[in-house]
Amino acid sequence: MRKASLVILLALVLGGVPAAALRGGVQAATDESLFREVKLLVFDKSWPAALDKIDELIEKFPSSPLAGQALFYKGECLSGLGGREKEALKAYKSYIRLEDAKPSLVEESEGSIIDLAFDLYEGGNSSALEDIESRLGHANKVVRYYAAYKLSFVSDKKEAAKAAPVLERIVETEKDPELLDRARIALLRVSPERLMSAEQRAPRTGTTARMLRIRIRAAGEREPAFEINIPFALADLALGALDEEDKAALRKKGYDINRILNELSRSKERILRIAGDDGSVIEIWID
Amino acid sequence: MRDAFEKSSAGQAEAEAVERLLGETEAVRSEIRRAAASVDWETLPSVIADRAMAERGGALARSVTPGLRGWPFVFLMKPALAGLAAGLVVGAVAMYLALRGPAVPQNRDDAYYASGDFLDRAELELARRNTLDYLEKSQYVLLDVFESADRGAIVPAALRSERARDLLQKKKYLNAQLGTVRMAKAKALCDQIEMLFLELAQVDEELPAAELAKLRSYVEERQLLLKINLVRKELESGV
Repeated sequence: MRKASLVILLALVLGGVPAAALRGGVQAATDESLFREVKLLVFDKSWPAALDKIDELIEKFPSSPLAGQALFYKGECLSGLGGREKEALKAYKSYIRLEDAKPSLVEESEGSIIDLAFDLYEGGNSSALEDIESRLGHANKVVRYYAAYKLSFVSDKKEAAKAAPVLERIVETEKDPELLDRARIALLRVSPERLMSAEQRAPRTGTTARMLRIRIRAAGEREPAFEINIPFALADLALGALDEEDKAALRKKGYDINRILNELSRSKERILRIAGDDGSVIEIWID
Repeated sequence: MRDAFEKSSAGQAEAEAVERLLGETEAVRSEIRRAAASVDWETLPSVIADRAMAERGGALARSVTPGLRGWPFVFLMKPALAGLAAGLVVGAVAMYLALRGPAVPQNRDDAYYASGDFLDRAELELARRNTLDYLEKSQYVLLDVFESADRGAIVPAALRSERARDLLQKKKYLNAQLGTVRMAKAKALCDQIEMLFLELAQVDEELPAAELAKLRSYVEERQLLLKINLVRKELESGV
């Protein structure tokens, strides 16, 4: 009973099926009912059952527009199942070639293709990377950005460096702080020097081009156990990402991230030194 | 007299004591050691005495006020003090070298640098914050659907659809970090909400209030808003 009501709900509310189509003939009702079931099963992550319904839909109604739409959900099912990445990739690629493909689902498909290609590459299929690299020049910036971001994680640093031009562009032009921070970290990963030149070319504020440095030394050690030089724009994030033990030492001394940032920005002293009880020393300063 | 300085075991012992004392100063320990090692403690007292004598000489002895006249002789008479003075000079230089700026590896001074581990932690921290933001915005979209069910459409369907698309885009970036154990609960919830937004993103037309009410009961049945609040609390506490 609950399931049946959900099917109706998804058909009318979530299905996105035009009302005119709902008033169609017997065949329309049937391929639509199958399609509704597919969506419900996908919603519940019942991948094998959803795949069966998709196959049934395509087999019984090969000329239905919904058979084409079902390709996207086939991709979702296959990637959700795991181990069938190549089939999933094929389904998504088939979907984005459809003339009546929906823009929102095309964008989703492109993102899924990038994810799947990354997984295949990391699993040893070196040619899979082509699917990511070819999207670095995609007309849709959402796809282009995501391809560059994902490529920055590739273990082969030479390949990862191909993402740098797009990431630089994001650092220089993007206004969304979330995307901006992600691009900064990704560029820091693949090419710190290019991040530095991008920040210097397009400084957003007086502090953007400045550098935050953190050193943590164990008691009696000269060489730091931890050190970073990063754009000041990532200061808040960097302090939040400190090791839990270091954060605990800071808290014990009455410091939290906000206080540190306030002191750094207000103080005329260029360095903030915090000594832990165990003799360790945390140094934070801005250049 | 000069021989007396060179052979003075008292002066050397004094110098060693100074070295020990300075060696215990944590902040400058290694710098002082290097500086101390570079000094010839056997000959330094005599060098100081020689220089003091040469600079001030007899003229000084004649012209200085009577009270200061005897200072060089204090050094001459007390080799231990000469050793101490030498130690203080070296210590001061070492202190200056140590405190003029943080001791950092010079090769990384002018370049950005962060280890892979740190970048992974930064990504995780970014994901934590952005997941919080994602869940908060998801709540707004769902609450808008709820309100629309009661009072009719508040936000135009096209705008709701656009918001859903934005959230779908954000979710893509979160996926990698949501895969970690610490974010497992958030992942399950975000995946569930994602499917809902995938459908909402395709609905450009206004939905009848009755259908919105059905959607609300669907979300309520699964207690999605409650789950969102719980996961938000966890993420806010830094889990």
